[in-house]
Amino acid sequence: MTLTDPVNSAKNDPAHTGGKLKLVSHVNAINWNKIQDDKDLEVWNRLVNNFWLPEKVPLSNDIQSWNTLTAEEQTLTMRVFTGLTLLDTIQGTVGAVSLIPDSITPHEEAVYTNIAFMESVHAKSYSSIFSTLCSTKDIDDAFRWSVENENLQKKAAIVMEYYRGDSALKRKVASTLLESFLFYSGFYLPMYWSSRAKLTNTADLIRLIIRDEAVHGYYIGYKFQKGLEQVSQAERDDLKDYTFSLLYELYDNEVQYTQDLYDGVGLTEDVKKFLHYNANKALMNLGYEPMFPKTVTDVNPAILSALSPNADENHDFFSGSGSSYVIGKAVVTEDEDWDF
Amino acid sequence: MDAPRVASGMDYHSLNAMLNLYGANGEIQFEKDREAAREYFLQHVNQNTVFFHSLKERLDYLVEKEYYEPEVLAQYDFAFIQKLNDLAYSKKFRFETFLGAFKYYTSYTLKTFDGKRYLERFEDRVVMTALGLAQGDEQLAIDLVEEIIGGRFQPATPTFLNTGKAQRGELVSCFLLRIEDNMESISRGINSSLQLSKRGGGVALLLSNIRESGAPIKQIENQSSGIIPVMKLLEDSFSYANQLGARQGAGAVYLSAHHPDIMRFLDTKRENADEKIRIKTLSLGVVVPDITFELAKNNEDMYLFSPYDVEKVYGKPFGDVPITENYREMVDNPRIKKTKINAREFFQTIAEIQFESGYPYIVFEDTVNKANPIKGRINMSNLCSEILQVNTPTTYNEDLSYDAIGKDISCNLGSLNIALTMDGPDFGKTVETAIRGLTSVSNQSHISSVRSIEDGNDKSHAIGLGQMNLHGYLARERIFYGSEEGIDFTNIYFYTVLFHALRASNRISIERGETFEGFEDSKYASGEFFDKYTDAPWVPATAKVTQLFADAGVHIPTQEDWRELAASVTQHGIYNQNLQAVPPTGSISYINNSTASIHPIASKIEIRKEGKLGRVYYPAAFMTNDNLEYYQDAYEIGYEKVIDTYAAATQHVDQGLSLTLFFKDTATTRDINRAQIYAWKKGIKTIYYIRLRQMALEGTELDMCVSCTL
Repeated sequence: MTLTDPVNSAKNDPAHTGGKLKLVSHVNAINWNKIQDDKDLEVWNRLVNNFWLPEKVPLSNDIQSWNTLTAEEQTLTMRVFTGLTLLDTIQGTVGAVSLIPDSITPHEEAVYTNIAFMESVHAKSYSSIFSTLCSTKDIDDAFRWSVENENLQKKAAIVMEYYRGDSALKRKVASTLLESFLFYSGFYLPMYWSSRAKLTNTADLIRLIIRDEAVHGYYIGYKFQKGLEQVSQAERDDLKDYTFSLLYELYDNEVQYTQDLYDGVGLTEDVKKFLHYNANKALMNLGYEPMFPKTVTDVNPAILSALSPNADENHDFFSGSGSSYVIGKAVVTEDEDWDF
Repeated sequence: MDAPRVASGMDYHSLNAMLNLYGANGEIQFEKDREAAREYFLQHVNQNTVFFHSLKERLDYLVEKEYYEPEVLAQYDFAFIQKLNDLAYSKKFRFETFLGAFKYYTSYTLKTFDGKRYLERFEDRVVMTALGLAQGDEQLAIDLVEEIIGGRFQPATPTFLNTGKAQRGELVSCFLLRIEDNMESISRGINSSLQLSKRGGGVALLLSNIRESGAPIKQIENQSSGIIPVMKLLEDSFSYANQLGARQGAGAVYLSAHHPDIMRFLDTKRENADEKIRIKTLSLGVVVPDITFELAKNNEDMYLFSPYDVEKVYGKPFGDVPITENYREMVDNPRIKKTKINAREFFQTIAEIQFESGYPYIVFEDTVNKANPIKGRINMSNLCSEILQVNTPTTYNEDLSYDAIGKDISCNLGSLNIALTMDGPDFGKTVETAIRGLTSVSNQSHISSVRSIEDGNDKSHAIGLGQMNLHGYLARERIFYGSEEGIDFTNIYFYTVLFHALRASNRISIERGETFEGFEDSKYASGEFFDKYTDAPWVPATAKVTQLFADAGVHIPTQEDWRELAASVTQHGIYNQNLQAVPPTGSISYINNSTASIHPIASKIEIRKEGKLGRVYYPAAFMTNDNLEYYQDAYEIGYEKVIDTYAAATQHVDQGLSLTLFFKDTATTRDINRAQIYAWKKGIKTIYYIRLRQMALEGTELDMCVSCTL
């Protein structure tokens, strides 16, 4: 690899090899019966219920559909997914983990460990899609593209830099922007395919990921707002400036990245609207006003409608497993239930 | 076939998706969906439809190019076909929704072999279906066109999709196969599954008879690997064979609750099941006898019995031995190897798996057999859990040829649109036309690759008349689903349908001088079946329902009507061994503009996801911004009202009804168990899927979205 792979290079970074590993300094046994912030328990429960593994989705049902895509569309799809793989890898191995030492409550730490694990599940899911649909050579090509694409690398580098920085709240901002904004240039495509009856099982899997990311972005943003309450007005102003300038920087880069990906199929303008919409959503999660006016957030209704993280699709069981099943709460029946 | 953009930037998919986004004043944008349907025709359908100057030219071309079966057309004069064609087009049919049109053109209509251009409009498909089903009977062909284009009767997908096409699958919807406890039968079962999948229709197989894992083979202990490897083989078979790509092969397997492999069977659907045993696409069903409920009530253990030993002791396959009657005896018999699990834990496990996957289906074995008017035993159901018929085993010679061909089950379906049938000119005639259309499918089906199916069909002429649009009808009439009036209507409607269905089958029997085989041993022949209708009157309990029937001009059969019918049936018999089965009606309810089956709606704006359609949006039938309160969805309505409604219908249906239960994700396994107990207590025969809905965590939802708000 000639260009830097930010994830792998992190391990070789002098700051990491030479420096002291940053860990929480003191640990108390976590008591889930004493909850300081109800949101921790609510989110934990939601995340646990939403646990899933890529093996449940019959991706192989998409093979026929995959073969109906043009070579250009296939390449685009693979590139989009390698890009998402990279982001999920960052978030799983660095992002969510880096938030742990900043936690305000022990339950928050537990939630981050869950988030980190699910991000790794997501990263692995893309590999499931690849191995089901494409040949090894195509996969290698797509991964090479992701290493060589400047804008994707820059996006990763920006986020990585903030994760390594020293401000807990800035890390949360970076994390929320990643979860609620940066993923979506990639999520656009499977939603687009699914509205055209292509790769619908892949879309089921992506919807499971969106279902998770929606909660992650919301939670980290919420914790950011909690953190803001603890700091001075000057710091708050500073953080707001910081957030908007970071978003601008990421947005500029994201537009170029979007052009790299979507210009070939003529969807760039549509994806940009989608970016605006999600940038506003990310800002909302952080408690800020929207940056883009309504006139440029009029996302294609077919994509917008598909974005809802509700698990409410009335799917046809014979062509897919759906994205609405969750791990149930087991409660034993009592004698009164059997009164007949 | 991509959707081109128009000047406004809105393609039909986007317009359709706007159904799910509120308008400026918080209203549902129904007009956007109608625009989507119109744009779909303008932008896509019209441009891609092959044009012919005349019907003659069209038919000649389609026959010559091997698109249409010449035999179907040869049964009629061209002048008659022209007349039928004119009749169909005179009705000015229009699709009410985008999804209706989209579904029809994506999945049903005849296309050029390269899949790029359309060769039929809806009217053409209706005419061809009518011509095919009427088999030369001009009056029946006219009646069928009237009923189908009028939206009152809609044949099931395989019939409506295939009739008259030269390159096609079978017209039958469903197949049910037994597997016996030997390698010949297992391999025949797999072979038959491949053959039937290739020809269309779902296949269900009975696994209860197969010996458990660890059972002896040739008296050597610990040899059998049980049912899981058989399931794996079946799953791969169904993935391989599909109906000319029209839809994925689909299969289900049924297992007795008291089979020793039952827990392994259920665990194949666990979220964290090992790849080696995970079952992704095969559907599961469990056959539960009354005794299992009794044991759970007493919080006892339930014994599981080795099918290998049971067959040796009772001289018949495990699936044919009524467990409830013989339970204590089997427990006490030392020759039967048994294991035990806790009965309540068994039910809880079922509920846990249902949470994670929607499966298994449940067949209440004793309820089903008590209500069965036909001699014999019912031990399984089908892929949609509405087919309930008797079967018998097939035996094989050593060279794998047939020794004795038993009876396996097939069923062809079609459903009435309840609202339009009530609105129609002649209720009895609608039912009779439907019964004759369905009977014709049975008569035309000869699946020689699976002899037990062919023989079974020849002997039974079984059909399944279903119903749909109950919720749409009730809401239009401003009745709440599951209310006293709603249940009252369901009861009287199904009661009236049954009368006309039996009368039609009786008339066919008289015309042809033929009954189904085994009629003389049935409760129809003994007259016992009719007792509940002749002993006491069945009349509406509410003024509203009395009024609805009076206004519609639909006569409610009296005791005297029943006595007359019973006399004719006992004298002349009926032609069809089975008459009714209420399927879930996924696809056909979209093209028919109905709410599915007799379920409540899943959502005001349903988000439909299918492999061939992608994600599309469908508004409930007859819904406007003024009557929204009558369109409570299934999750709000709750299981009691759904079960009460189904119970009212069940008492008049000889086979089953696909009953899906809907839960919010806040439900627990206990809630699901309570619903199952309630259903069993109410005399429900089968339970189909459990569907769950999880709303987005507060703060993460999409604003403006219709399906996101309750």
